[in-house]
Amino acid sequence: MNSYQRVMATLMGQPVDRLPVFAVLGAYGAKLTGVDLRTLYSNAAAYVAGQQAVQSEFGFDLVMTPFVYTAISEAFGGETAWSDNQAPNIRRPGVRSAAEALLLPLPDPEQTGLLPVVLEATRRLANIYKEQVPVIAVLPGPGIMPALIIGMEQWMETVLFDEERARKLLDHTAPFFVSWANALLAAGADCLVITEGMASAEIAPRALFAERFLPLLTATFAQINGPKVLHHTGGRINHNLDLLPGLAGLLGVAVSSKDDLAEARRLIGADLTLIGNLDNLTLPMVSADEVYEMSLARLRTAGNSGHYILCNSAADIPLTTPTENLQAMLSAVAAYSAETGRGI
Amino acid sequence: MNRQVWSGQLLTFMINADRVGAAALVDKALAEGIEPRQVIADILDPAIVQLGRLWEEETMSLAQNFVASKIAEDTLLRCIPENSVSPQTKGAVVIGNIEDDFHSLGRKTVGLFLAAAGWDVHDLGNDVPAEDFLEKALEVGACVIGASAMMQTTALNIRKLRELIDSRGLAQQIKLAVGGAVFNWRPDLVTEVGGDGTARNAVGVDELCMRLQAQVCGEVTP
Repeated sequence: MNSYQRVMATLMGQPVDRLPVFAVLGAYGAKLTGVDLRTLYSNAAAYVAGQQAVQSEFGFDLVMTPFVYTAISEAFGGETAWSDNQAPNIRRPGVRSAAEALLLPLPDPEQTGLLPVVLEATRRLANIYKEQVPVIAVLPGPGIMPALIIGMEQWMETVLFDEERARKLLDHTAPFFVSWANALLAAGADCLVITEGMASAEIAPRALFAERFLPLLTATFAQINGPKVLHHTGGRINHNLDLLPGLAGLLGVAVSSKDDLAEARRLIGADLTLIGNLDNLTLPMVSADEVYEMSLARLRTAGNSGHYILCNSAADIPLTTPTENLQAMLSAVAAYSAETGRGI
Repeated sequence: MNRQVWSGQLLTFMINADRVGAAALVDKALAEGIEPRQVIADILDPAIVQLGRLWEEETMSLAQNFVASKIAEDTLLRCIPENSVSPQTKGAVVIGNIEDDFHSLGRKTVGLFLAAAGWDVHDLGNDVPAEDFLEKALEVGACVIGASAMMQTTALNIRKLRELIDSRGLAQQIKLAVGGAVFNWRPDLVTEVGGDGTARNAVGVDELCMRLQAQVCGEVTP
């Protein structure tokens, strides 16, 4: 099986030769090719070269489209803070209030700012890897999208103290979420990973998610014709897992390193794939042997169902992570396959 | 109704994100003759302490904490007359997000809780260079600087501030508090960046600052 077949079969619950293994290595491509991060995320050719270098170096079961949310905040007028050692951040949101955001036109994925660069990188990755290695696109969920436009503090203030205006803003921005998701799929992404911050226990209580944001996921997911994974966005998500089965096109959920993996399986049922649970921040701090053991422990906990993909939790793996530690993740999957009789 | 009950009710409003209900409760307490400073000390403060315990148990979300900070701010505004200056503050503290860090929500919540607890808070905002932290601390006579970072990469920039404090021979006069999501996930990072202490949440920062202030003053602390 190639990586594409392996990942798609895992997501669909079909037999595989071994479980897939992911690592979020967008910025890492710049480390391997020697370009600065601003060039990496602003130039489709540079980004694709980075992904090719990552794929050549490690052979993980995915390539990623640019994981650069500042392209979205910029498209709504925001300013970006570039860094030498991490993916860019929002220096200043485009507008300061939900009322102003309601007056903003929605960006055109093919025209506005750096969004076309992301799509071009996606097309190029698809041309190179189509049906060989899955092309995975990451995008912010519809519930957290307004935070990229007005800033997290203003968004929380609106959600918590001005419910009607929050609803209007979600209604205003949801079509962009849908059009961006469909543009990524049309450009060649095989699967969407949707990071929905409002689903995280650290951000919002279950009741708030269930009443205000789950219906939004239900409505928007139905308008996106492609496979989807819901991502925990750094915080715990187990408290909401039982609410997620049945979302249109949802094939898996990425859980955090603080979520109990066995409990996650019980909560989400048998049909959806669980992804992740390997602590991002630990990866650069421990030895390759420790990464191997951590990986193997997770595979032994969650791999039995077949619906599991080993992966780091949260966003980009820190650039200081040694290559041996990343290779240890691959070694653990191979060892687990041998241990369980799933041969490579 | 005793003040413990008042405080318990305020906590319930915080947990339920009911800002209006909390405001009504504070107004009622004041109307019944409870002194404003006692509202802060006996009703608001215990509720905040209890909130911190709930955060430690990981049963509180950022949304609930955000509402709680707003309720604390509302209570202060109701209890402290406009334009009044408290004759006795706990002291000055300088806070900000370290250079390259733009995640302001946690820092702002910390500022609100510190102000509620009686500190003279100087908030420098996002993306603050080490030199600016120290300059402001010296200007206002702060014995605690609070540097916030959400990401590991930006947390490492706090080392510059540590080095600057040490190189100026101010380590005994100015203590460095560090905080932000990454320190909860990786507590060892506090030592790595040279922090003198941390708190897991905004509610705990008052106690942390008092402990660090006591160290500066030469008091014995546990």
